[in-house]
Amino acid sequence: MITLLKYEIYRRWKWLVIRYAALIGLGIVFYNRATFSPMQYNIAAASMGKFFLVSLIVFAIIIVEGINMLKEDLFESSGYLTFTLPKSGRSILFAKNFLLFVQFFLWALVSIQFGTMFLKLLPLEEVSRYMAEIDLPVYPAILFVLTAFFNFVLMVQFSLTLTRTLLYRNKYSGIISVGIFFLLTYLIEKFYYGPFLYQVQRVYSEIGSGLEVNMLSAGYTSVFMNIVLSIIFFTATAYLLENKINV
Amino acid sequence: MEYILTTKQLSKYFYQKKALEKVDINIEKGKIYGILGPNGGGKSTLLKLAAGLLKPSGGEITIDNKNPGVYTKSIVSYLPETNYFYKWMRIKDALNFFNDLYVDFDMENAGKSIEFMKLEEKEKITSLSKGMLGRLKLSLALSRNAKLYLLDEPLNGIDPVSREKIITSILDVFNKKSTIIICSHLIYYIEKLLDYIFFLSEGQVILEGETENLRNERGISIDKLYQEVFQ
Repeated sequence: MITLLKYEIYRRWKWLVIRYAALIGLGIVFYNRATFSPMQYNIAAASMGKFFLVSLIVFAIIIVEGINMLKEDLFESSGYLTFTLPKSGRSILFAKNFLLFVQFFLWALVSIQFGTMFLKLLPLEEVSRYMAEIDLPVYPAILFVLTAFFNFVLMVQFSLTLTRTLLYRNKYSGIISVGIFFLLTYLIEKFYYGPFLYQVQRVYSEIGSGLEVNMLSAGYTSVFMNIVLSIIFFTATAYLLENKINV
Repeated sequence: MEYILTTKQLSKYFYQKKALEKVDINIEKGKIYGILGPNGGGKSTLLKLAAGLLKPSGGEITIDNKNPGVYTKSIVSYLPETNYFYKWMRIKDALNFFNDLYVDFDMENAGKSIEFMKLEEKEKITSLSKGMLGRLKLSLALSRNAKLYLLDEPLNGIDPVSREKIITSILDVFNKKSTIIICSHLIYYIEKLLDYIFFLSEGQVILEGETENLRNERGISIDKLYQEVFQ
């Protein structure tokens, strides 16, 4: 598993370095701009906004890459599957998603660090008042974002693998896997599970409305659901990779 | 008799298209087998099923008495017809990759083989010609101490001089503990290697036998026999 992970990193290490260097570099540039004019809160807020935009782009890249890591193996001529490596489907999938976890962790670390630095430049009373208005339980929200992120990626990976298993070399596989993903999302919603987009909207609406909703129980419930779903999708994808797929 | 690979009523369909149908073959340990036939006959499909890349639609295939899976992949060295290397790789990277991921890979042997095939370790794989790529694939596949080697069209796109090198490499790696299965159109070159032959057409075995017996019974070379059978 470690060797598989090593090659996942090795083949894309330049992009990883560029990505985080850009995030940190732009963070420093925006922070310097904000500190250059002390007490000018609008400049600090604008710099903070720009940094979070960059952070959001990096986050989107991480998600797309997380999906592509497996998509390449499934639909292209090179990959761990075509090499007929004596490795289980579980090991292959774990290596790819562990790298994704590391990337997500680094992204969160850098973003939170800069976020805290930017917040300190803003008027503290106003920030505190705003935070009090939001009344967002921090830990369930962080756990929710983390588990929803993995649930989303694993669900896409499962949809791609299932499509590739059912349809051998079909040019519409990509579109069909998107269909399967939305069908799964629909079914999960039907059973009152919390799919990624639904949960994001929910958290967003609760933040936006400023309602004093005790999210503690609801937050942990969706975290639990996400963990269960992630385990199901991981196991099913690993099983298909090892036992059913035609490469 | 000890078999390394057996199939029972093995079938493979792609949607409605038949690739293999109810194939029964037994591959003994310590021999070199040839699977010969025209394009679309099912040769590559059979090797892919043995390599674990494809799953059977019906019947059964076993290698060392196990269904294709993680264990069989550890004892089977498969040389595909396609270029399966990552674009970022240099020859040296491919050697390290194999060394890291296959326990039975012999790095020293691979180094010698690369040299014998006149390849440079620093060369990028994307810059290799078809012939060089074929030689690299073969060097890597044959540098594993596998129980079973599956070679899918190892001579395709290779110039005549390199073909001789490849034949020599195959003979070098062969020992009585290993078994080799070769699929090829280029019968003339591989004929001398083969102990046993299967002729495969439209997904079925239409003729099989010991190479020597087939030659003696028909009084012609296998190359000529192939032309007769598939005319």
